[in-house]
Amino acid sequence: MLTIAVDAMGGDNAPLETVRGAALASLEARHLQIVLVGDQRRIEPILEETRHDAERLSVLHAGSFVTMDDKPAEALTQKPDCSVLVAARLVAEGGADALVSAGNTGAGVLAAARTWKRVPGVRRAALAAVYPTEQRHGDKQDPFSLLLDVGATLDADADDLVAFALMGAAYASRVSKNARPKVALLSNGSEAGKGPASVVEAHKLLTSHTGLNFIGNVEGIDIPRGTADVIVCSGFVGNVVLKMLEGVSETVMSLARYAYKEKMVWRLGLMMLSGGFQRIKEVTDWEQYGGAPFLGFDRLYIKAHGRSKQRAIANAIKVAGKAAAHGVVEEIAKGMREFEASRQGGGAKAG
Amino acid sequence: MFRWDLDKTYLRSEFSTFTQLLKSAFEKAEDKRAVPGAPALLRALRRERGALGRICIVSGSPTQMRTVLEKRLQLDGVEYDEFVLKPNLENMLRGRFRAVREQVGYKLPALLRSRAQQPKEVEETLFGDDAEMDAFIYSLYGDVLAGRVGDRELDQVLSKVRAYPDARKATLAAAAVARVGHDVVRRILIHLDQRSPTARFAKYGPRVVPIYNYFQGALVLFADGTLSGGAVLGTALEMIASGEYTLDALANSLQDLLRRGRLALAEGARLAFEIERADIEMDARMAAALPPRSEIAAAFAARVRALALGALPPVLADGHARIDYQALLASDALKGH
Repeated sequence: MLTIAVDAMGGDNAPLETVRGAALASLEARHLQIVLVGDQRRIEPILEETRHDAERLSVLHAGSFVTMDDKPAEALTQKPDCSVLVAARLVAEGGADALVSAGNTGAGVLAAARTWKRVPGVRRAALAAVYPTEQRHGDKQDPFSLLLDVGATLDADADDLVAFALMGAAYASRVSKNARPKVALLSNGSEAGKGPASVVEAHKLLTSHTGLNFIGNVEGIDIPRGTADVIVCSGFVGNVVLKMLEGVSETVMSLARYAYKEKMVWRLGLMMLSGGFQRIKEVTDWEQYGGAPFLGFDRLYIKAHGRSKQRAIANAIKVAGKAAAHGVVEEIAKGMREFEASRQGGGAKAG
Repeated sequence: MFRWDLDKTYLRSEFSTFTQLLKSAFEKAEDKRAVPGAPALLRALRRERGALGRICIVSGSPTQMRTVLEKRLQLDGVEYDEFVLKPNLENMLRGRFRAVREQVGYKLPALLRSRAQQPKEVEETLFGDDAEMDAFIYSLYGDVLAGRVGDRELDQVLSKVRAYPDARKATLAAAAVARVGHDVVRRILIHLDQRSPTARFAKYGPRVVPIYNYFQGALVLFADGTLSGGAVLGTALEMIASGEYTLDALANSLQDLLRRGRLALAEGARLAFEIERADIEMDARMAAALPPRSEIAAAFAARVRALALGALPPVLADGHARIDYQALLASDALKGH
């Protein structure tokens, strides 16, 4: 049975929603054990008020926690018993198979970096985000693609981008059951020579030294279309893209609300389309996807959205369970080994 | 003396849909399944309590199921002294359809009539579940026996649950005979079949302990001085051997009781001491499926170490809350009590 450590104190709505999310997961994901890491004095009253399965849930007390506004490095130094660090240590020691946190992203990454090892060959970790797309992907017909890095490594060189591609492909193949995910580099044109030097060099490496289903470069417009299953970029670019996509989504909703108020005819039109809007909302609702995997470490870390409520936390726990069960880390390590061997041998493709 | 409900307390029963209800009614004894650990716990209560280990079963199952249910208990090696079932067919033939579903007007007089046959000093532990109103009925039963609920209040409660006039009269008559004037219901254990939030039961006071499984039930009875450490171990082992429980699940269950203030840490230490010396009879198949005792102890110790011991709540002291039964009936959320 797999065990998932949950940073109970991390997130805008913690510990109430994180504990409720873990409680929900204890009832719905009966193949998982959940360890709530945090202040037991605050966790226990919430548990007692919430329907859960105590047989699948335990508490590991942590005396402090990192707030969303804390500076990560300072906070981890000043609070060695903070929940995210205690949870990361538990995973490092083998007491849990993955970590879920909705808390301060920097603190989570730093906690992982301080207690876990990187997969051999991976120099920098990447945060991957799932994004809803027009096309569906893999055997499970997932309606989203994977975009990485979205903020962990601001400036990535060619080797980093190749590692991100291998990591994203490993995640998509294991979690989305997409045996040969289509991998692309994000650039300003589809031609191989387009983009900054790091992207051009990464294109060459991905073509000649990996056996990935690499489809070349894609442009921003291809992200929502779902042209690729895995889209690779530096953290700086990925973060800008992600925030822009979120902004567009929010603006569309604002415009719909404006239209609803403005004219009776528009209101009627929106009401007639309400079923369709609901379906779109379901497909694009980030809470359904649980969390974003942090890839590149020898352990698994699922970063849930800071605003997560119980459903999103429960789904993040399930995603963590699935990633751990399907050997994502092992698949990444295999891909990196094969890439290094291919590059050193100067020939045979791997990945 | 130990009183047990059957469906969802002793037996794994599913009848939330009509199909499940029908299936349950026609199921053979061999196909019915006990909740893991319940048979071991019942056998231990009988074995260790001797003359005080009288087992009385009061169930809402219809009398027509007696043969099947008796056979299931026999297959599990469970002995009992009383076995009361609900005359549902008779209720239907008499047009008393309300009585088919209503539990207070059936269980309460049944318990009181049974109690009237017992010496006044005999203490009781009752086992129910959170699917219907067991915590309510058992607490009311205990308070009627203790004299905290008089005839007037009892009649008002029976009126509120719309018990039939003859059932009201019979209940009041049985209460008059059974009332002992002091507390004899010592413990009420509610099996959380529906996983109801434990806080819902706080209004019944410390006497009622919601439990997720019978390992927790055995632990509470061990702390009460009712059972030995060996009985706790025997219950745990039967649960693991059932294949439905892991060592982690049991260790989590132990930690849950500590966090809720339902078990003192000192009792955990006493248990470890007794378990080390306990002599448990088990067949070879069961023995092969079980982890060594050192592994069990290590798993339990790890869950205790995970807690800030200074932050554990004080163990709830014995005592009886003043329960406003009529107010409880007026609230919407009584189901699952």
